[in-house]
Amino acid sequence: MPFHLTDEQELVRTSVREFADAEIAPLAATLDREHRPPLESIPKLADMGILGMTIPEQYGGSVSDYLSFIVALEEISRACASTGVMVEVHASLVSTSILHFGTEEQRQKYLPDMAAGKKIGAFCLTEPGAGSDAGALASTATKEDGHYVINGQKIFITNGSFAEVFIVMARTSDQPGTRGISAFLVDRGTPGMQIGEPEVKMGIRGSSTTPILFDQVRIPESALLGEEGHGFKIAMKGLDGGRTGIAAQALGIAQGAFDQARVYAMERVQFGQPIAKLQAIQWMIADMSVDLEAGRALVYQAADLEDRGQPFADAAAKAKLFCGPMATRVTHAAMQVFGGIGYTDAYPVERMYRDARITEIYEGTNEIQRLVIARSLLR
Amino acid sequence: MKIAVAYKWAADPSEASVSPDGQVDFSRAKPKISEYDAVAIAMGRALADAAGAELVGISAGGSAAATPLALKAALSRGLDSAVVVQSPDLESAGTFQTAQALAAAVRHLGDVTLVVCGDSSIDAGAQMVPAVLGGLLGWPALTDVGAAQLAAADNRLTAERSIAEGIQTLVATLPIVISAAAGALAAPAPGMKDILAAAKKPSQVLSPADLSLELAAAAPVTAQVKVSGPARRCVQIDTTDPATAAAELLAALAAAGTPIGGRS
Ligand SMILES: Cc1cc2nc3c(=O)[nH]c(=O)nc-3n(C[C@H](O)[C@H](O)[C@H](O)COP(=O)(O)OP(=O)(O)OC[C@H]3O[C@@H](n4cnc5c(N)ncnc54)[C@H](O)[C@@H]3O)c2cc1C
Repeated sequence: MPFHLTDEQELVRTSVREFADAEIAPLAATLDREHRPPLESIPKLADMGILGMTIPEQYGGSVSDYLSFIVALEEISRACASTGVMVEVHASLVSTSILHFGTEEQRQKYLPDMAAGKKIGAFCLTEPGAGSDAGALASTATKEDGHYVINGQKIFITNGSFAEVFIVMARTSDQPGTRGISAFLVDRGTPGMQIGEPEVKMGIRGSSTTPILFDQVRIPESALLGEEGHGFKIAMKGLDGGRTGIAAQALGIAQGAFDQARVYAMERVQFGQPIAKLQAIQWMIADMSVDLEAGRALVYQAADLEDRGQPFADAAAKAKLFCGPMATRVTHAAMQVFGGIGYTDAYPVERMYRDARITEIYEGTNEIQRLVIARSLLR
Repeated sequence: MKIAVAYKWAADPSEASVSPDGQVDFSRAKPKISEYDAVAIAMGRALADAAGAELVGISAGGSAAATPLALKAALSRGLDSAVVVQSPDLESAGTFQTAQALAAAVRHLGDVTLVVCGDSSIDAGAQMVPAVLGGLLGWPALTDVGAAQLAAADNRLTAERSIAEGIQTLVATLPIVISAAAGALAAPAPGMKDILAAAKKPSQVLSPADLSLELAAAAPVTAQVKVSGPARRCVQIDTTDPATAAAELLAALAAAGTPIGGRS
């Protein structure tokens, strides 16, 4: 299927690239070195309308098609993968879930502030005993005189240290497996919510990843997102679209590394000629470019299916399963093109190499994507 | 009252490649609104907002300049509307034909008191269009404007230019053609809402015939004979004292004949 972006999608690409080159890329190395999230970029991302790309105009957003958002995410991640995942979780997982499953009141309460960057979202599914097997989560939400009381522990929560709104999955009944799980909207600062120290990570060090302890956290009944017992479905629906988002993040990281390597190969002289004249380097560049184009086709296809209202979960899993390892391969090769200097922090390929690896793990590992794909084929 | 901004849908030289014999290959360079024209549009937008004027983009070019993509790219930068003069003869037009087409667009619009141009086109880079356009319209032209204020009621424009001696402030009577100095002000990338809004803004594509315009015959007055890179020399300054390093650098530049102390 040949893919043609519309004029608007092309303009989203050029415009977000211009923005990211000017505002996002210059920060990336500092965020990585200092292990701190890109808080100063939030108002700029909001002004550009990027934080509101999944939010309709009536809620203050700048809603576009999902493919435009994916292109924007790719371009942000090309400049800084940490900023990319902050936007992805906020706009793709959290805003979209509130839009699809929230009451009018919940939408009014959160979406305008989320589009304006006043509230960043976080998505709390993973627990110490429930990673790939998210349905095994053990946090509970018990009903007490018109309130829910949440108890439990979440780990690896992206945006945890500064998010204002948390979607939290917890058990509301003793029904085993996924049926007893519900989703809740919890505001930062609700008493009993303890946000732990951020993890020290190999890559995406500018993204904050924290544990969160819920100790007798009392929230009103109106904080239930969707119906009671539908929490797992809400989480999975969010993750379906989210997978296309992470695939786009991987694609952006890989494209960033490729662009650097291509230029370096033409400039670096060894044996009296640019290394780009060496077949060994040419083959790497050619392979990287094929990888990128194949990945881009899968990512855009998944987003396009979602835009056209067709089933896309399978396509999103395929895009993520291809693009995660692809980003690892491409950043690996990019470092090889750079040689020794690529292993230092003089060039961003070293950071990109570290950043790429997580895309094979979060929002469903490679193995879980294979499971999703195989299940849809072998029904 | 209208303010016009002249822009060019031009190939980005940063995506062009240069062959060893000096030929520039633009075939893989995508066209765009250059950073110079983006500054002109931003300057025009600020002046139009202050004066309550309409901001109209004007452009001249071949078929690519009149595509919906080109129009939306320009409109998303803050123009209210756009007029493109399109003709195969303008595909690779020189300064004079371009200025002719732009002058015709200005006359067609009527009620234009100010034309803002970019510092230069990004591909040809001759920096001649503002002056020739002014000449064709019979208006004064002021290039390299770093800041401008419009007093429409007094029929005046105050412009600042940065020159070697400092900042020069000039007052001119309207109508006038100005060009915005490169980097005169920040021209942020269009936001998502600007991109969506661009599709709804009015635009007009006109042929020279629509404007009763007879384009002058292309008359190449220059021919590229040879391109040679500047000879590179390396001077090593070996000191840890910043003041000494600065002094040695200045001396080395002066010895090499590099003009120092503002623009020359
Ligand atoms: C930086 C970072 C950010 C994160 N952000 C968030 C967030 O915002 N919100 C959130 O809820 N979670 C988040 N996570 C959690 C992430 O989604 C999980 O780490 C991931 O889903 C894997 O779970 P796990 O770590 O428990 O690994 P495990 O599930 O323990 O997996 C270990 C290994 O076993 C394999 N495996 C497990 N089950 C199967 C199976 N059935 N078949 C084959 N192989 C299998 C896995 O693929 C993996 O190779 C984040 C994690 C990280 C590291």
